[in-house]
Amino acid sequence: MLANILPKLRNTTSLCRYFSSALTTNENIEPRHLQYPSVYQKPRQIWVENLDSIDERKLGLIELHPTVFAANPRIDIIHQNVRWQQLYRYVSYAHTKLKFEVRGGGRKPWPQKGLGKARHSSIRSPLWKGGGIAHGPRSPTPHFYMLPFYTRINGLTSTLSIKFAQDDLHVVDNLELPTDEKSFLEELVKSRNWGPSVLFVDDTDIMPRNITAATDEIKHINLMPVYGLNVYSMLKYETLVITRSAIDLIESKILENLNRNDDKTFTGKYKVNQV
Amino acid sequence: MSKSADKALNLLRSLPRLCLGNIRDNPGSRSSRKRGRGQHGGDKHGAGNKGSGQRQNYMRLGYETGNNPFYLRFPNEPYYKGHHLKRQYPPMSMLDLQRLIDLNRLDMSKPIDLVAILNTGVFKLKPDQHQFGVNLTDEGADIFKAKINLEVQWASELVIAAVEKAGGVITTAYYDQHSLQAMLNTRKFFERGIPIPRRMTPPADAIEYYTDPTKRGYLADPEKISEERLVLAQKYGYTLPKIEEDKTYEMLTQRKDPRQIFFGLNPGWVVNLRNKVILKPQEEKLVEFYQS
Repeated sequence: MLANILPKLRNTTSLCRYFSSALTTNENIEPRHLQYPSVYQKPRQIWVENLDSIDERKLGLIELHPTVFAANPRIDIIHQNVRWQQLYRYVSYAHTKLKFEVRGGGRKPWPQKGLGKARHSSIRSPLWKGGGIAHGPRSPTPHFYMLPFYTRINGLTSTLSIKFAQDDLHVVDNLELPTDEKSFLEELVKSRNWGPSVLFVDDTDIMPRNITAATDEIKHINLMPVYGLNVYSMLKYETLVITRSAIDLIESKILENLNRNDDKTFTGKYKVNQV
Repeated sequence: MSKSADKALNLLRSLPRLCLGNIRDNPGSRSSRKRGRGQHGGDKHGAGNKGSGQRQNYMRLGYETGNNPFYLRFPNEPYYKGHHLKRQYPPMSMLDLQRLIDLNRLDMSKPIDLVAILNTGVFKLKPDQHQFGVNLTDEGADIFKAKINLEVQWASELVIAAVEKAGGVITTAYYDQHSLQAMLNTRKFFERGIPIPRRMTPPADAIEYYTDPTKRGYLADPEKISEERLVLAQKYGYTLPKIEEDKTYEMLTQRKDPRQIFFGLNPGWVVNLRNKVILKPQEEKLVEFYQS
């Protein structure tokens, strides 16, 4: 019952937001040309918003490719991606000493026979208190492995689709702010209900000065270029704000990899265990 | 897939926000590795308990403790003698070919040969495993509509009829292993900087096939082939489209030289991809060698 009502409620609130606070302006937003149009799914639509004022203005509607932004939301693949991102650079430094590494224990503690005691050869045997550890953790243990290429691609599409479905994805025309005050950005994020943590994504890694200065002091609002976009960061931040040019780049890169015919030779070089 | 995806995405709208804390893998997809206790990991490593399994003192293969062994009981019947030396032609159906053309992975306006088929990335060929080209099979012959100049290595009568009914032409051609290796990955071959080899003539047991006009062999007499085209049309009961009056007549009549591997490139030439030049042999000896 609740599940039936909630999406409706959500829609009504968003509708209210659209019609009350949002002023749709007549600024011309170029329609997007979708590469590799999907036969089975309709393109999705999203508003392009502004960042130059605290009040939200809708600048226009653009279309999103359904293969990227309405893909099957595979939570398991997202989990595999996150696990891989955490593990591939993790090296365990837990360390225990083996029998021969523990100091002492070279002498036989007592004769083999005749004492009525259990036979022992060293006081550092794993059976003894203060002895070595059998099969303990040894340092350094790398946990590097490579996730298959298309699992990584599907992780990106799944996460982007979920972010979009849960209204946590916003598109802006650019990242130009009128001021470099951090209070402006904080107020903007608060008034638009973007949640405390926000990730801004642009197509280049040289961002406008104002937003760079403003986000410099706020730890939970960050900037990221498209080449750094990853599943872990998208899930870490509550809201994802992507510029229109970054949307183009993300879509073209993912679609290019989903539609290439030389994937066998292409993914071959990412295999770790090759002869 | 899209329907279930839409359903799931719709459901997600009413669920809490996905974050690092509420994701998980499918249940049962990972099993934790356990360390065996005791000597040798507490296991017998598949050898079982005692006996010849552990000691590896097996009887010799086929020995039946004194019986007349099975392998000696019957006279030898060499069904597969020489099987590993036979030429293989991995199949591709006409349905696949039509699909490749419909999806623009093959260009109809140019002759379609093995190089074009291999460049689609869909058809895989392994010359080192005695595979000598494509066998076009008749699956989907009834819906084949493309008017093409096709060159394959093996084709049945029905396939030939289907291609010619659609207004196209078909040739069966032989390529030796060195030529096939050059065709597999053209870019890689050109980057090696060696001259394009001459195509060898077919071996003795293949000459009959490739000189047969009913098989549209590339070494057959062209006049006999046009005769056979009419015969086949009468046999299958269709009117043969006149390719002489066709707009694409020039493309349809394009043929490779029996010594040629790539269209437009002769044996002996070196293709330099970096400087974008083609180097042709000048010396008389070489010219004579690469002549067909």
